[in-house]
Amino acid sequence: MMLLPTATTLTFQQDFYYSVAERTKFFASKCRSLSPSLNTKDSSPKGKFRFSACTSSRRSNKKNNTKWYIKQPTWRLWGEEKADGALYTVYLKKVRYHRPTRSLSSSHSDSDDEISHLEWETVRVRFVKAGTLKRLVEALATDDGELETTYINVFLATYRSFSSPKEVLRLLLQRYEELADPPENGKPDHHEQHRKTLISALHVWLDSYPEDFKESPHHPALIQLVNFCEKYLPATELEAKVRHRLDRYSREQPPKITDTLLIPPATLALRTAVPEWKCYRLPNVPVRHFAEQLTRMDVDLFKKLVPHQCLGAVWSRRDKSRSHEAATVLATVNQFNAVSFRVISSILVEPGHKALDRAFIIICWIDIAQELRVLKNFSSLKAIISGLQSNPIYRLQKTWAVVAKEKIELFDELARIFSEDNNQWAQRELLMREGTAKFADTVGENDKQLQKIFQRQNNHSANISFGTIPYLGTFLTDLTMIDTAIPDTISDGLINFDKRRKEFEVLAQIKLLQGAANAYNLIGDIVFDRWFDSILVLDDREAYQLSCQIEPSQNNHVSKVKKKSSGHQKNDSIASNSSSNSSQFYCDIDSMPSSPHNSIERKLSPSQMSNSSSSSSLPSLDVSLNSSHSGRDNKLQVPLNSSGTLSPSHSQKSSPDFYVIKVTFETNSVETEGIVLYKSIMLSNNERTPQVIRNAMYKLGLEGNPDNYTLAQVLPDKEMILPLNANVYYAVNTAYNLNFILRQKKPEEAESNGKAAKSKIKL
Amino acid sequence: MTKPPNDNLPTVKLVVVGDGGVGKSAITIQFFQKLFVTDYDPTIEDSYLQHVDVDGQWCILDVLDTAGQEEFSAMREQYMRKGDGFLLVYSVTDKNSYEHIPHFHTQILRVKDRDVYPMLLVANKVDLVHLRKVTEEQGRELAHKLGIPYIETSAKDPPLNIDATFHEVVRIVRNEAATKDKKRRKFRQIKKKMENCVII
Repeated sequence: MMLLPTATTLTFQQDFYYSVAERTKFFASKCRSLSPSLNTKDSSPKGKFRFSACTSSRRSNKKNNTKWYIKQPTWRLWGEEKADGALYTVYLKKVRYHRPTRSLSSSHSDSDDEISHLEWETVRVRFVKAGTLKRLVEALATDDGELETTYINVFLATYRSFSSPKEVLRLLLQRYEELADPPENGKPDHHEQHRKTLISALHVWLDSYPEDFKESPHHPALIQLVNFCEKYLPATELEAKVRHRLDRYSREQPPKITDTLLIPPATLALRTAVPEWKCYRLPNVPVRHFAEQLTRMDVDLFKKLVPHQCLGAVWSRRDKSRSHEAATVLATVNQFNAVSFRVISSILVEPGHKALDRAFIIICWIDIAQELRVLKNFSSLKAIISGLQSNPIYRLQKTWAVVAKEKIELFDELARIFSEDNNQWAQRELLMREGTAKFADTVGENDKQLQKIFQRQNNHSANISFGTIPYLGTFLTDLTMIDTAIPDTISDGLINFDKRRKEFEVLAQIKLLQGAANAYNLIGDIVFDRWFDSILVLDDREAYQLSCQIEPSQNNHVSKVKKKSSGHQKNDSIASNSSSNSSQFYCDIDSMPSSPHNSIERKLSPSQMSNSSSSSSLPSLDVSLNSSHSGRDNKLQVPLNSSGTLSPSHSQKSSPDFYVIKVTFETNSVETEGIVLYKSIMLSNNERTPQVIRNAMYKLGLEGNPDNYTLAQVLPDKEMILPLNANVYYAVNTAYNLNFILRQKKPEEAESNGKAAKSKIKL
Repeated sequence: MTKPPNDNLPTVKLVVVGDGGVGKSAITIQFFQKLFVTDYDPTIEDSYLQHVDVDGQWCILDVLDTAGQEEFSAMREQYMRKGDGFLLVYSVTDKNSYEHIPHFHTQILRVKDRDVYPMLLVANKVDLVHLRKVTEEQGRELAHKLGIPYIETSAKDPPLNIDATFHEVVRIVRNEAATKDKKRRKFRQIKKKMENCVII
């Protein structure tokens, strides 16, 4: 597709990854005593020196743990130096002039340094600590006019927090023009070298951050570069590259609505395909496959992640209106939450489930989590652990009580990875060890279950290698803390470049892992995607309420309720002694018992509790619990009069019941056979047809006027179209599955409503 | 300052919660920064551990601040479970952050399954007088409603009430533990008496 990067560019990048890989391993060997200044030293302009330095320091570190310049005999901090518009850290470096092969060889040791005084000399090397933007751009070339590889990588990865692509490009080109003028005091070679370096810098920039030059529709940065090349560098590789880039971008059409999102046509297939519906249902799912599919989703997002969007200045300082600047980070966060929410709701939503049924679902998630550990996907792994440790699940003691002991052990071992103790030490350590390793094999000494798993695993798949998906949150916090702790500017407004070096350490780790993520080779499964999309998501309040329905709180911890119900202590104690199902009765003294089945049945005889478990409705939720929190923003609350049909003793309580209904969207577009895409939505007892249609449209990503749609329940022999004014909750036929079809009205129908607003598919 | 004693000190785990952008990290950093005179490394194991002397009693303060992870909402409850005490932080320049406090409060009580729990309401960024949107009265009113103490802070130099904030939470945690102990003792006494009654 593109011109190959120049040879120099390639070297720079290799150098870069080399150093990062080395650094990561370096840290892994727990050289925690190393001072940050080592990183600066590490940015030696010459890759091979850096490599040898790291190797020797690693080895010698075992011997002594004192100061870095003892471990690192070839570097010494000299001090700081101030110049016009810049502040430098100065080091003395001992340069070897002989045996170039020797310095790379494994036989190299510290003692060589002691005895070979005569063969090296000390050179002064300075690194920019802080500077004006102009000086920072100039520093892309060293004093000798050579390219500083680490410096340019740090600069390009972080400059957006103190400047813009436009400004940096302007300064870079301006610098080139200045150098093009004949030098005032001779040394033309020097200038020549400087200019070459600036061109190399441009190549690196264009190759590593193409998005910096993409600004539809006219791409002014590229045009500026074309003009620059015409003037100074006609018929060069740079010009060809820039022109090619401009040409390609200009030909790219702005994404069309229909291209980006064709809502996969959903359909009538509902009726035709129901019997052989291939769909997953927890807990009977292939856990390895599920782990792979979750990983596939994470890999996509992780490879698209733009590391510099994680910077504190971008991510944690953004205001909500600028969210697009951190869009790739946000996408990762959303996926994490989506997985956790699915864990939570899958365990809670089936009202008919017994403790054992729920336990099986929990076990299933633990098994998926275990596979994720083997796949080294720490993002979804943590999402599942978080879901299982979220309050609504964690508190289900009776459910956990029937989970097999070794599964609990396994869960604890997996959860230990994310222990907050010692600043996330376990997780950091693991990432260092396995980040670029081929497969997972790190276990703690107490991890009995994991040991077994890895043994089995590594016997089977010795040749398979995986990448690593990190949990991004730890990096985000580290970057936020760096951003808070280290000032942006020092010494009267100079840009603090040392801060950016610090940030780059984190970004480099992310980049390294992104590279490693290419090792995954996972194929998508539409059926899984469908399953993933169809799961209902509960917010924390809804989940908590459902959880309390399943197992009432022992300690009625909402003070108001407690006070009111203080006369009912006896009931409380009954609740805690009673077995799982009936204890629901006493979930809250003020509330009324609710049948988890058919609301109409309940309305007629509230005390009648049948135990059938086939219904797909949700147990009623208790509003009094709710309103005693902050009722203000409680979207589940129901007007009192809606409970008018309840028997008098309960009439003061509004008990919103819920059904989870599945809504499919029927389009006029070509039908894809067998593909059914439904969304689950919650239906509460005060919702009328237009509201339900609106909710369904929102979930299905449809925009437009709800009046232009109809909603119908799919019954075995017919469809029941819901009248416009119907209270859907009471209108539905709960004797059958709660499957619904959302249809667009035919144009004449819509017009008859007097509202011919066109609906369109939302982006 | 006296040196911290070497024997096993009690550890107090504090969790800092609040919306993104309210300056949680600044409060935490301001409190711990003193240790990192020259440089700061967020990945070091004991970055957020400190020995403190509160009212003549030493303890190890272990602070969990997940600044930057606010939007990983699904894992919030997981780390709330670990806290002995909480700083509920909002920014006086951001009304929304103030309005979200009751949600955090409720969530903590739910996770702890308790009516009350050691918490402190922290009104941060009070140095930004001209940008202030939430008054002190509103802050105190909310604190009163939630039944927790209130403090105003600024992490800008010179810092205001930063050490005081952490020390105060330690006190609240200690008081809570003390009253719980007392209750338990009382309960035991009553129980004993009742048992005696039964025997009689």
